[in-house]
Amino acid sequence: MSRLRSRVRLVDQARVSGVALRSRKVRSVLSALGIAIGVATVVSVLGISRSSQADLLDQLDELGTNLLQAESGEGFGLGDDTTLPDTAAAGVRNIAPVQSVAMVTELGESVLRSSLADPDQTQGISLRAAEASTLDALAGTMAEGRFLDDAIGAYPTAVLGAVAAERLGLTEVDGRTSVWIGGRSWLVVGIMDELPLAPDLDRSVLVGYAAAEAYVEDDLAPTRLYVRADADVVDDVASVLAAQANPEAPENVDVSRPSDALEAKAAAEDAFTSLFLGLGAVALVVGAVGTANVMVMSVLERRGEIGLRRALGATRGHIRVQFLVEAVLLSVGGGVLGVLGGAGVTRGYTVWNEQPYALPAAAVGYGLLAAVGIGVLAGVYPAARAARLSPTEALRSG
Amino acid sequence: MSGPVLDVRDVRKSYGDLEVLHGISLTIGHGEQVAVVGPSGSGKSTLLHIVGTLDRPTSGTVVVDDRDTSEMSEAELAGLRSHRIGFVFQSFHLLDGVSATDNVAQGLLYRGVRRHERTHRAREALRRVGLGHRLEHDPRLMSGGERQRVAIARALLNRPAIVFADEPTGNLDSRSGAEVLALLGELHAQGTTVVVITHEHEVAAAMQRRVEIRDGLVHADSLASVAGGLR
Ligand SMILES: Nc1ncnc2c1ncn2[C@@H]1O[C@H](COP(=O)(O)OP(=O)(O)OP(=O)(O)O)[C@@H](O)[C@H]1O
Ligand SMILES: [Mg+2]
Repeated sequence: MSRLRSRVRLVDQARVSGVALRSRKVRSVLSALGIAIGVATVVSVLGISRSSQADLLDQLDELGTNLLQAESGEGFGLGDDTTLPDTAAAGVRNIAPVQSVAMVTELGESVLRSSLADPDQTQGISLRAAEASTLDALAGTMAEGRFLDDAIGAYPTAVLGAVAAERLGLTEVDGRTSVWIGGRSWLVVGIMDELPLAPDLDRSVLVGYAAAEAYVEDDLAPTRLYVRADADVVDDVASVLAAQANPEAPENVDVSRPSDALEAKAAAEDAFTSLFLGLGAVALVVGAVGTANVMVMSVLERRGEIGLRRALGATRGHIRVQFLVEAVLLSVGGGVLGVLGGAGVTRGYTVWNEQPYALPAAAVGYGLLAAVGIGVLAGVYPAARAARLSPTEALRSG
Repeated sequence: MSGPVLDVRDVRKSYGDLEVLHGISLTIGHGEQVAVVGPSGSGKSTLLHIVGTLDRPTSGTVVVDDRDTSEMSEAELAGLRSHRIGFVFQSFHLLDGVSATDNVAQGLLYRGVRRHERTHRAREALRRVGLGHRLEHDPRLMSGGERQRVAIARALLNRPAIVFADEPTGNLDSRSGAEVLALLGELHAQGTTVVVITHEHEVAAAMQRRVEIRDGLVHADSLASVAGGLR
């Protein structure tokens, strides 16, 4: 006698689960929402982090990575001479691949908004003498007015760093704006944008060397040199820079490459990324528990249907797969929503911050993978319960 | 197709210490129409579940369509149900939010029949039970009588050797009940083997054969009284 076997085509199994979800729309959407929020969090955090990184790398491209900085260091504790020799700039210019050198000297005088301000309230603003070439060396731009040049640098004129201007409460340059330095008024000729390669200059007020010598102090040995070198030999230049800047005590010269800090920042996962990823994971767990809960309720409510399906010839396995597929569909539906939402949030964030938009494929992949995994996890127990139910019990209750 | 459709031999069923069926024997031939009657709690539903292979007897044998069910695995029993047995329940068990056609088409789902053919045959079955004008209706919008006819169409879809109906008119008003009863009569006329559990006198009276269960035993069988000691 022929064997009678019950079997369901796979598409039909999926269709049964899909129909069950569709006929309980509100509940399905609500329970998918939990997972959607979790996935959206993860995707947008990864997306925003990648976009910010892309932005930093773009910035780095624009700023160039061929800038070196030589600064007088503490050396081996020899004295308190914190300047470079007067000849430092000339020495460095002798290195063949050096394109330009800009000299900066830190001055002791404090910068005040006006003669009436309290001289002890410097608000962390420092005064520096700077060469006219400094702005170009740092690939900086002006927010207002213009930078110092050799002509006006001889007069009491000043340029403000972005943070210094903010702290002094100055936002524009109108030809009468001034600050108070060393007992006289200095005309403000410009305000710089932020300098990503020299954040400490943002908090400085810059004056020309000639003016500094005339109105502030005589000792103008440089405290720092900015050096642009040919891009492909930057490392070689860096290795001889200290000796050229201070042949007598090269160990007193700190040489660094300011773009390294930006590169490190681009590479680093910041603490916020980890924090929000953690929050996303928590949301996913909550979503998983919610889905499992909804599925258990669904199994209890649908005992009649389960009994009927067994009567129609479904095996325990068919029932198990039905509910498992239902949970996975629910969760993947939430996952897809979450990926779309996360991509949207990332897009919004990057438009708002004028950053390039970058959504790592891995974020999308992990998001969907997490959704499938959660669906399986959340579905296993309810599906097992549904399959365990005896047909007679199931039918009596419904 | 030599033997009877259903052959039940000395079936007993206990729940723990409580024995509900005390040794029931019953033979139902092809094309028979049988009413199973008896007081509440006498074990009718329990018997129907056992002969429908939804449950196993504690002892005794059930042979459906020449297949001894005691030797079959759970999966094989499911296969038997999907091919040879139809069920109709008091509470219909229709899927809400799913059209009448798709509800009926579930009757062939577990035989691996393609959707196109399932749908085609479901429409045919609905027309057979007089619901050709309700093919795409949601069962929630149907009358009780119509809903039970959808359930009957579903039970017939796999052309079962035997249909078991547990109080199919129990949830219906008398008019709908009469409708369903008339349908069962038509099916019998077309040769379908039907076993109907019922409390209603009119339903029982309309059936060809009546079996009365009392306290887990066959108390009376109209066939036996007509055929005398033939068995
Ligand atoms: N799972 C079970 N566990 C324990 N007792 C049960 C179980 N299922 C049924 N019974 C008992 O078996 C007896 C027969 O029940 P059954 O449902 O077969 O009666 P019935 O004749 O169909 O009654 P009704 O006409 O009210 O539907 C009842 O006393 C019932 O309480
Ligand atoms: Mg009953």
